[in-house]
Amino acid sequence: MSERRAFFRSCAAALTGLITTRTERLLAATGLSLEPEDPEVPNQEVARILKELFGGRPIRRGHVELDMPVVAEDGRVVPVIIESDLPMSADRYVTGVHLIVDHNPDPHLAAFHLTPAIGSVSISTRIKMKRTTWVRAILETNTGEVWAGYARVLVTLNGCG
Amino acid sequence: MMINDIGEARIRVPDQIRRGDLITVNAIVSHPMDTGFFRTVEGDPIPAYFIKDVIVSYGSQEVARFEWTSGVSRDPVVSFTLIADKEAPLTMVWSDNKGAIFKQSVTISFVSA
Repeated sequence: MSERRAFFRSCAAALTGLITTRTERLLAATGLSLEPEDPEVPNQEVARILKELFGGRPIRRGHVELDMPVVAEDGRVVPVIIESDLPMSADRYVTGVHLIVDHNPDPHLAAFHLTPAIGSVSISTRIKMKRTTWVRAILETNTGEVWAGYARVLVTLNGCG
Repeated sequence: MMINDIGEARIRVPDQIRRGDLITVNAIVSHPMDTGFFRTVEGDPIPAYFIKDVIVSYGSQEVARFEWTSGVSRDPVVSFTLIADKEAPLTMVWSDNKGAIFKQSVTISFVSA
């Protein structure tokens, strides 16, 4: 019994080794790095939304914490928390928070327009997700800066129909 | 929190608020948030029916406005912060795509020091 288990274990180890090296080779070939993980290139619809919202302004990664489950078992109810350390003062503040779910039927899922009276960017809600995809939380400031946080969520049950 | 009638809404703020506190506001409204992609068991399409606009006012000031789609889950919840700098009503108005308007408000008042 223990020999058998040891055999399985070595098989598993070998397989893991194989996958790791293959993944690493693939990453090396495509020039991608594991940390930090980049979201996929926006599809046509998402690219159109980003252009409409932010024009040609650079969308930089940072200042946004998008907290979502790694695995969403029920795509009908997926919790979302969006936080930011950007100031919310009278002269410098976040004017809007856009939530974009790449592979949903309507990717631009929600927009939250804020004023300094809100005091901080700390928004939570629950959303529907059709399938495994990247989610983008993109913030716009009154000075025209655009900051983003990304999360990849594995969806088990389609919540969009 | 159990609510059933469409448009029934609750807003929750902390019990004890002092002037200047950064408080968290939790809100829920009862709504089916139908996407328009589903059908009934008889096979009839269920038309899209969802909250599309939320306005948050504090006193006479509009402090936030949310634009939603049917991608927000059934019985939408939202939480956000607010600087409690005056004793005034906090009002939320939810509007759906069929033109219905639902309103709820709580009064922000301070504990005496």
